[in-house]
Amino acid sequence: MRFVDEFRDAELGRALAGEILAAVEPGRHYKLMEVCGGHTHSIYKYGVDDLLPANVELVHGPGCPVCVIPMGRVDDGIAIAHEPGVIFTCFGDMLRVPGSNGTLLDAKAQGADIRMVYSPLDALRIARANPDREVVFFAIGFETTAPSTALTLKRAKAEGLRNFSCICNHVTIVPPLRALLESPDLRLDGFIGPGHVCTVVGGRPFSFIPADYGRPLVIAGFEPLDLLQAIHMILRQLAEGRCEVENQYKRVVPWEGNLRALEVLAEVFALRPHFEWRGLGFISQSALRLSDAYADLDAERRFSVPGVRVADPKACQCGEVLKGVIKPWECKVFGTACTPEHAIGTCMVSP
Amino acid sequence: MGCADDHCITCSDAAVPMRVRRLDRASGLAECVGDDGVASEVDLTLVEGAGEGDTVLVHAGVGLAHGRPDDAVPISRRPMPRGGDLP
Repeated sequence: MRFVDEFRDAELGRALAGEILAAVEPGRHYKLMEVCGGHTHSIYKYGVDDLLPANVELVHGPGCPVCVIPMGRVDDGIAIAHEPGVIFTCFGDMLRVPGSNGTLLDAKAQGADIRMVYSPLDALRIARANPDREVVFFAIGFETTAPSTALTLKRAKAEGLRNFSCICNHVTIVPPLRALLESPDLRLDGFIGPGHVCTVVGGRPFSFIPADYGRPLVIAGFEPLDLLQAIHMILRQLAEGRCEVENQYKRVVPWEGNLRALEVLAEVFALRPHFEWRGLGFISQSALRLSDAYADLDAERRFSVPGVRVADPKACQCGEVLKGVIKPWECKVFGTACTPEHAIGTCMVSP
Repeated sequence: MGCADDHCITCSDAAVPMRVRRLDRASGLAECVGDDGVASEVDLTLVEGAGEGDTVLVHAGVGLAHGRPDDAVPISRRPMPRGGDLP
């Protein structure tokens, strides 16, 4: 397929590695942050960092939608899942994220009817098939996933489905990036921009990064050559003294984003004044709730939820991992107290 | 679309290119086929002008973008510098 195979070509990868080597200044250390969890996954899957010179370091950012969900929100979800007659639906990774008193998988083991779905549209199908049950979808994700939830809610409203609702945990990527750039211990030279978020929001929302903070950002795809090319583009900007938003992922990302998707998001959602991020604390205007026009489909209004803020576990260093201050394996509990089977923090659950 | 490689592609913000096989314009729902040959139902209402045979980028059951392969940023084919083993 013309989107994938030619961006996995080993010979071209080696050529790009050579270009990268030629673009770095010896003696200078480069720290580049990949914002999106999907990029982190590709980097490890394809060994992209093995092709980089030792002085080019990749740092993981806050862009994993599972990692950033705070414990209190998991508790809210579990409380709804235990309500009589409820079928609770969510994405796979979310099942293993710990709340203050266990995970959704634990709640399922205790008898709650919790089902994994691949898309909110699957949850809608479950609602149609079970008219005598309340079906709740636990929505998570950045701007990439929010349109899918929005379209589902629009369909539910159009069909007049009374037994479907959504607990909305959608977050937006720009506010945590701004918070990160404001933090005094930050030392980053540039950003690999989140390609799939950009298919929806476009490139413009990121122009504050070069303009206000003097760091280049290159929107990148997810194949190994995409990442190598984006890294090369960032290094070339640094070498030439340029600082701008560039788009490596032009074959998918239009500069203006997806206007239809943005319209649907504006109709179905409204900004929350603030939202808690795991390890990062409260960030203002960083998440979405259902708009007043969709209040009937808001599970937080339909059910009573604890809504309690639960402090992150003391031993957990997810916040420092999400800010790129430490690598995951440098966390004190990595692989010992915190394992994929018994996670303390969220980062262990999702790549 | 499924959970491959031991991680959830929906949670990790992955989106996959799929080819549109059949499109019902009235509902905006299409049958799309991925690289692995597996077909699934995709909502294409957000992708303007997408038609049968086109490639679209799909995430969580929704098409997000129309693929434009010719717009790819060209990659230079300059070979590795001589003796260019990576440090």
